[in-house]
Amino acid sequence: MSRVIGELEELVLLAVCILDGDGYGISVKKEVERHTGRSILLGAVHITLYRLQDKGFLKSQLGGSSEKRGDRRKRLFRITKKGMEQLRASQDIRQKMWSLIPQLNPGS
Amino acid sequence: MSRSKKSFARRLACTLIQRWVGRAYIEEFLGDLDEIYEDRLAAGGKFIAEAMYWVDVIHLIFGFSSTVRKQSHTMVIGHMIKIAWRTAVRHKQFTILNLLGLTLGIATCLAIGLYVYEESTYDTFHANGDRIYRINQPMIWGDWSEQFAGTGPGITEAIRTDIPDFEQVTRIMYVGEQLTRVTIDDEATHFNESKYYVAEDNFFKVFSFPFLKGDPNTALKEASSIVITASTAKRYFGDADPMGKLIEARSTTGAYTPFTITGVLADIPTQSHLQFDMLSSLSSVTEFKDNRSTWIWTIFGTYGMVREGTDVAALTEKLQALPRKWAGRTTEGVFNQTFEQFTKGQPWTLYLQPLREIYLAKSPSFNRFGPSGNPEFVTIFGAVGVLVLVLSSINFMNLSTARASNRAKEVGVRKVLGSEKNTLVRQFIIESVLFVSIATVAALILLQVSLNAFNTIAEKKLSLLLHLNNPYFFGSLAAFILIVGLAAGSYPALYLSAFKPAETLKGKLRTGFKGTGIRNGLVVFQFTVSIALIICTFFVQKQLSYTRTIDVGISKDHVLQIYNMHQLGEGVDVLKAKLQANPVFTVVAKSGFIPPNVWAGDRYRAEGPDQPVVDIHYMRCDENYLPLLQAEFITGRNFDPANAADKYNIIINEEAARILGYGSKETWGDNSPLGKFVVQSFGSEDKFQIIGVVKDFNFNSVKQRIGPLLIMHNDNEKHWSYGVGFPSYLSMRLNPGSVQNGDALQGIIDGVKAEVAKIDPSVTFQYSFMDEEFDNTFHEEKRMSVILNLFTILAIVIACLGLFGLAAFSADQRKKELGIRKLHGASIPQLVFLFSSEFTKLVALSIVIATPIAYLMTDYWLSNFAYRTPIDIWVFIFAGLTAMSIAALTVGFQSFSAANTNPVEVLKNE
Repeated sequence: MSRVIGELEELVLLAVCILDGDGYGISVKKEVERHTGRSILLGAVHITLYRLQDKGFLKSQLGGSSEKRGDRRKRLFRITKKGMEQLRASQDIRQKMWSLIPQLNPGS
Repeated sequence: MSRSKKSFARRLACTLIQRWVGRAYIEEFLGDLDEIYEDRLAAGGKFIAEAMYWVDVIHLIFGFSSTVRKQSHTMVIGHMIKIAWRTAVRHKQFTILNLLGLTLGIATCLAIGLYVYEESTYDTFHANGDRIYRINQPMIWGDWSEQFAGTGPGITEAIRTDIPDFEQVTRIMYVGEQLTRVTIDDEATHFNESKYYVAEDNFFKVFSFPFLKGDPNTALKEASSIVITASTAKRYFGDADPMGKLIEARSTTGAYTPFTITGVLADIPTQSHLQFDMLSSLSSVTEFKDNRSTWIWTIFGTYGMVREGTDVAALTEKLQALPRKWAGRTTEGVFNQTFEQFTKGQPWTLYLQPLREIYLAKSPSFNRFGPSGNPEFVTIFGAVGVLVLVLSSINFMNLSTARASNRAKEVGVRKVLGSEKNTLVRQFIIESVLFVSIATVAALILLQVSLNAFNTIAEKKLSLLLHLNNPYFFGSLAAFILIVGLAAGSYPALYLSAFKPAETLKGKLRTGFKGTGIRNGLVVFQFTVSIALIICTFFVQKQLSYTRTIDVGISKDHVLQIYNMHQLGEGVDVLKAKLQANPVFTVVAKSGFIPPNVWAGDRYRAEGPDQPVVDIHYMRCDENYLPLLQAEFITGRNFDPANAADKYNIIINEEAARILGYGSKETWGDNSPLGKFVVQSFGSEDKFQIIGVVKDFNFNSVKQRIGPLLIMHNDNEKHWSYGVGFPSYLSMRLNPGSVQNGDALQGIIDGVKAEVAKIDPSVTFQYSFMDEEFDNTFHEEKRMSVILNLFTILAIVIACLGLFGLAAFSADQRKKELGIRKLHGASIPQLVFLFSSEFTKLVALSIVIATPIAYLMTDYWLSNFAYRTPIDIWVFIFAGLTAMSIAALTVGFQSFSAANTNPVEVLKNE
């Protein structure tokens, strides 16, 4: 069985997927905040992004600066194949477990 | 927002990030931070944006320094504290010894610090304190090379005429003890005020003693005004408003003069060299009006406040012209001497002494109007404080390095696992700072608990709580912790971190026992200090007990003396007759002064042409006083009550005979002083015939050599001085048989008190015993000896703690060696001897070093005294033996238990 990832890690992975090549610290933070309705610290997002990269679920490259950022580049994250598999695996695990909840499956 | 507009805080945050977060991430982080800042600025305003910026920065720093970088400082610090705690708990004995030694050392140093601070911050509360100077002059009544704080009122008049650089010059005058009376509801209460002074009307323009009631500008303007302190007001009037009420002061004639209260001062702070309860206006003093220009009425203190920006050196220069210009009139008018004759060519220098230095200055030797500090004490205490602190820091260093080899493996493992030398150094320093912090907190508690006792000994009112809301106190405490922590921790830190991992892990260090040299050196230092202190303390004690046994030339035991007799006026003779009738007293006598406090002196010369003018102390008494003192006559006779002419005759001592030019008793055959005349070299130049010469006796403290003394009759009104005919003292020699115990003595004193009260109940009853008064002249030295004893004990305790720790450590190190020796047949005494000798050698070396140091210090201290106890060799031997046996006991315990261990126990696990 593949490694289990934490909730925040999963949310960040999903956000990176949604942003599709445009995911960096702030956009990921905003995406997660928008869907979950809770606020998280920038640092937490960064830490998670790097941890995911270390695990091989994300890859990154620098690019896309703006004046607002003082002409500094962003680190843009993309999901890797392994990351995608991991997301799927988590999804599968959840699906399997959901299906085993008796209250939700009165027939069996 | 452009970059230039970035706030300082944000720039600082950037720097922090750059410093703490890996370089690879800086660009994106700072970019993200700026971007989110802009968003927040738009949404929530500057404050929120700024605050959140910081939150993010700190979060990033923490987050990235712990997860991303190899090693994080915060984590390591936490880890270090944990390790420090574990080591401390594992080696309880060391920990306790370490903490105990440090705590004692720090508490002592803090106590001394408080003392030194208190002593060196006198008179700092005056608003214009940095511009106030006291004007001193030479001791014109004796040794002109000494400074004298008393000045005549003429100086002030001269300055006001000639020197414009002073904004104010003011005079304060001491009139001695003052009897006062207050009448409330027709009921009179009497007081005896010892802190009663007279001050000029501009006194409060110079000194900013805070007024509770009244106007400082006018309070002392009118004649018969008086300003009192709050607690004096309470003493006189309770809670009633004292303003405008009357206090009556008794004059020398016995009449009472009323003074109106024109101001109430807050109580005078302890840290003031001027201490008064009452200040009456100078314009009330009748003698002042006629004598305001005189230079020889030296009962004034003169204080000047210079204008801002005055060059004090130049001003002092300018002042020097005054005596020559002005004082001549006084010397010619009073002594019939020209200025040159009066000064005998010695310079009449005027000194400007800064207000804040007055209290702790070495000269003039006393302050006239309040307490004076002892600069030597402050130096000695300061040195001892630092010494004790150094001793305890040394302990700490010693014990830590001793422990080093136990921790060598830990260091080795750390190094192998990639710990850098810096990290290790930091770890040991943090450990040591942590220790010192704990010890400091413990020391603060200890000090607070024991401060009362210390105050009693040092006769101070030091308070720790007073400093607790002072940021400087905490600042210096923090600096103190860091410095001591670094100093005590640096050696073990550098020493331990320099271990080579391969060697320590192979166990080489255990046999090598490095660092012994330095450690032994430190032990020797500690014991040198302790032994030197023991020797010095011993000599202080020896000198003090010696002074008590010095033959002062008179019989000072069993002499009861009562004071304030001049307040009785004629009644003193009634009292004398009454007491004389009491069989408890063998002799009763009147006198104007009592040894060891005969301070008055004047200028005399032998009759005849070209006789030099000399300064001689004088004392007044009746015909019973010399017999009462059991003073020995060398030639001539005592005053004879049957001979009326004796009223104007005098008795001198040997020294006075010598200084007046009559030679010593061997030469008196040709040139006997008897029948010769002594001329008082001032005023009407009256002359008095010598009828007797007494053997020299100490009429002042035995610290001083016996000076010349002239004894005149009580009723000799030709010789001017205070209270002619009304002596201040009545002395009684007790019949030794009647003072069997304390109760009997108290009964006698109560009896005398009742007799005094019968004649005049308003007289303040005060008494003393002559031998106690002689003892009291060594009050300061006694106080010093008590404190020195205390510190000596502390130093020894600290040194022993250190030695004990080292011995314990060494015992642990050598247990295998001792075990093997034992197996081979060594006896327990042999082992104890072998083991102890390692330390006794060190102590022996300390004795050798300490002896000459202590000799020099003792010799220096003893040179202050006219009569010295000999520097006996046995004291050094005794101190050496004491130190040696204390050390032997300390080490002996360890060595015995080491030698007693079953060798199997120590040898089985290898």
